[in-house]
Amino acid sequence: MSLFGKGKSSEDGVTEARQQALAEALSHGTVPSFVKTRLAETLSGKRPWVSTAMPSGLLASRSHGIRPLGLVSGNCWFHFGYSWTRGHYEGWHTAIDRLRLEAALLGANAVVDVTMQVKHMEGTGNEDHMDYAVRGTAVRIDGLPESSNPALATVSALEFARLLEAGIVPVGIAIGAHYDWLVANQFSQGMVASYWNQEWEALSNFLTQVRRQALRELRDDGTRLGSGILAHTQHSELYRIEPDENNPYLRFLARHIAIGTAIIHDSRSRRSLCIRPVINVSDAIRLATTDTTLEVL
Amino acid sequence: MGDITETLPQHAIERLKGLRDTSRQGGIFTSDFSVNEFLMVGEAGFEPLGLVIGSCIYHTGIQYAGWAKNQEMSVLSQAMYEARELAMSRMEQEAQALSADGIVGVRLEVKRMDWDKDILEFLAVGTAIAHSAGHPGFKGPDGKPFTSDLSGQDFWMLLQSGYRPLALVMGSCVYHVAHQGMFQSLGNLGRNVEMPLFTQAMYDARELAMERMQTEAQESGAEGVVAVALHEGSHNWQPHVIEFFAIGTAVKPIEDKAIIPERLIPQIVIPVND
Repeated sequence: MSLFGKGKSSEDGVTEARQQALAEALSHGTVPSFVKTRLAETLSGKRPWVSTAMPSGLLASRSHGIRPLGLVSGNCWFHFGYSWTRGHYEGWHTAIDRLRLEAALLGANAVVDVTMQVKHMEGTGNEDHMDYAVRGTAVRIDGLPESSNPALATVSALEFARLLEAGIVPVGIAIGAHYDWLVANQFSQGMVASYWNQEWEALSNFLTQVRRQALRELRDDGTRLGSGILAHTQHSELYRIEPDENNPYLRFLARHIAIGTAIIHDSRSRRSLCIRPVINVSDAIRLATTDTTLEVL
Repeated sequence: MGDITETLPQHAIERLKGLRDTSRQGGIFTSDFSVNEFLMVGEAGFEPLGLVIGSCIYHTGIQYAGWAKNQEMSVLSQAMYEARELAMSRMEQEAQALSADGIVGVRLEVKRMDWDKDILEFLAVGTAIAHSAGHPGFKGPDGKPFTSDLSGQDFWMLLQSGYRPLALVMGSCVYHVAHQGMFQSLGNLGRNVEMPLFTQAMYDARELAMERMQTEAQESGAEGVVAVALHEGSHNWQPHVIEFFAIGTAVKPIEDKAIIPERLIPQIVIPVND
């Protein structure tokens, strides 16, 4: 195979052309022509399909008619100009939109097994930029027409099928990120430098407000997508920043980031899960403590 | 080949075709549920309403203990209890504003601040839920929302066993364990002996924490407390100072006979794929 030998003389030209196509696509919010071609060829069967699923995931194509189309991805290397916190919101959403674009070209009904990844530039010690990347497997469900607005799910194809059966469609990823500053005047500082128990009320309220605002944003972001949010990531920090020549007072910086899966459900069409409690007796130690496990999904 | 589209609800099919969802009647919930938790809370007949939080940043007072004395650090005990209680009550207020019947999956966290060892942050987070059919028999003490650290799965299991949660109850005791004198240490050299002073300290601290939790449960009108956990820890304190923290969900039997689920008998299984 001469995969690497082919077209060696024009390598520079090809690289340049690809870079140009990428730059153009990114600035216009489209997919580069060579990616478009590959996806089209994958869809038509000229190229093999690609899936992140393990062999067990292929069961879903036989049992539920969920067929893998191809691996789709999107990324956004983002520089935090004015806010690290808001950068998370914008970086993730840009990357997710790009993944959605690729999936739509495949006419996918959904993208399953979506994973989120961040990357820092190693060794530079540079904290003000990083890469947000998402990838997943675009799937088509037999009996349904093509979709231009695929649903996004962080679960595998099999679990996706089970969720659908329970009347739940995971549709996308919602993010809420908020930060704020609190300037502490001398009065509020003096209050807590004491020997007795007391709450630092101003700081409690401040942090609570920041968290609430982030959660409100999470909800608003989710409203675009679905009817509910299952938030899997919550992260908050509170920093104390000492006064300097520009800022005569002590300041606090608080931030909160929440990331969740948006779902669509209709509680009126809920079906019973028919759960059976079981006692697992395969493990001798467990037998002694009678550990009861549930069969849910 | 199976065809899942025949069995799917209409709103699911519409969304997968790329159409906008039409089943929504405004309103969206937030939660920190996992998918399984969400399914099980639904199975229990409840709906999530929203993620609720309460926070309290607390400056703990200063107390000195005798070097060779076993004693409770009551200033710190009070601080640890009061701050958690404040965070919890703020979380409950949020749930009340959502007209919730209760809060499940409550997590209580204590965070230290790098910049001041006397300042701790107490955080309470949970998901407010309401009974789908609006049954009034699930509220906690005084008609307020119940609180529980049980997961959605355990909440379902609790209802199956005929009980309902009332309140997350807790007891805290910060204790100073006496240092051993020089003569005592020398006397123990080369011998296997119990150190009674240390044993007593652990015993006393544990007992105080559990006693307080039990009293709180009693006051809430509970029949029992499930899923009790005893935590031991130090929050930036000097050596020999530890906190015993007991936490559990106070429960009582479901009063309304009409909503007690049928008896579930666990089935014994041996997995064959191990």
